[in-house]
Amino acid sequence: MCVGLSAKVVSVNDGTAVIDASGAKRSVSADLIEDLEPGDYVMVHAGAAIAKITKTDEEEADEVMEELL
Amino acid sequence: MNGARQSAKDIITSYSGRPLRIMEVCGTHTHEIFRLGIRKILPPQIELISGPGCPVCVTPVGFIDEAVYLALEKDCEICTFGDLIRVPGSQMSLAGARSKGAKVRAVYSPMDAVDIAKEDPDKQVVFLAVGFETTTPSACLAVEKAKAAGLKNFSVLGANKTMPNAYQALKGSADAFLYPGHVNAITGTKVCEELCGQGVSGVVTGFTASELLTALAVTVSLLQKGEPFFRNCYPRVVRPEGSPAAQRLVEKIMQPCDSEWRGLGVIPGSGLVLRSEYAEFDSRIKYDIPKITGRPNPGCRCGDILQGKCKPSDCPLFGKLCTPGQPVGACMVSGEGACSAYYQYAT
Repeated sequence: MCVGLSAKVVSVNDGTAVIDASGAKRSVSADLIEDLEPGDYVMVHAGAAIAKITKTDEEEADEVMEELL
Repeated sequence: MNGARQSAKDIITSYSGRPLRIMEVCGTHTHEIFRLGIRKILPPQIELISGPGCPVCVTPVGFIDEAVYLALEKDCEICTFGDLIRVPGSQMSLAGARSKGAKVRAVYSPMDAVDIAKEDPDKQVVFLAVGFETTTPSACLAVEKAKAAGLKNFSVLGANKTMPNAYQALKGSADAFLYPGHVNAITGTKVCEELCGQGVSGVVTGFTASELLTALAVTVSLLQKGEPFFRNCYPRVVRPEGSPAAQRLVEKIMQPCDSEWRGLGVIPGSGLVLRSEYAEFDSRIKYDIPKITGRPNPGCRCGDILQGKCKPSDCPLFGKLCTPGQPVGACMVSGEGACSAYYQYAT
């Protein structure tokens, strides 16, 4: 439904963030996330950063499975 | 393979209980599950069915007809996400309109369409705003940007949709939902928790191999307990509160309306339309678009596929008259469509 691209925030200025996605840089809207800072990892969709990414998927899987088992 | 992923895989592959139907609501989930080979490790008792979570697929034929009308009759430049260009309308697709001289271009973001309008004030630019809660905030950002710039040559032809009432319409079609992670990144998890209270089970799911395997393992495990459940299996991106900034923005610019979904018909309160304060950016008002009733190909079963009532391979057109090269239905056009996924990975 909503393909996301994970990227690292390089800079944030006046509602716009420059992101680095595997070396490709692009400006996206930073208006949908409060307190976005350079160095944060974000999920990008349709020209806007929509959420911060707080850990790797394997760390996440460990936590989810630990809760289940 | 790490321990968690192995544990998840073991739970899935060793399942031998009652038959389970699990709906991957999101079209990207459908594609990633195929692409990663996860379907191949499923025991026969676990059936994955595709849901209505591809925005291009659920957009009705009449919307394409409206866009073609604006392109050919009103000389508008249509800016759209690329997948919509080849979706057949009643008479023609936007690609067909382009072959008749219409100006149609693919953009990456709604904000790109605003920039195109800014660059050439003599050009009337229309952005085709389709999508769910994940995409709608970007369309709202574009409208805000156009209003702030005082643009008179930018408008939006909207077909934005929201998922809660679609979940209600799909109740009972599956034992559990794999909820679309990036929708929940915006909305948070309250809707899913409320559905759980109504007896609807599901898990919020990410998109990597680890995330899909753990989400399926959690679903299979908890279904065996027999109680309705909800789990957020994508907490590295989805917070319970979602994105308050995005929610405030959409609330400011759009309001709920009834909306037609391909296959599901009109679902009350499942769409979004610009508020009256932003009416100047509503293409339907700006161009006084006449009521257009789309006529889908009667042989196409996209509607049933989107509700999990049949598989793409059950459609008589699939792979014969309907292929990615010559699509008949939207589900074969879109990169997120179930028919496209089945054609690419299962044939």
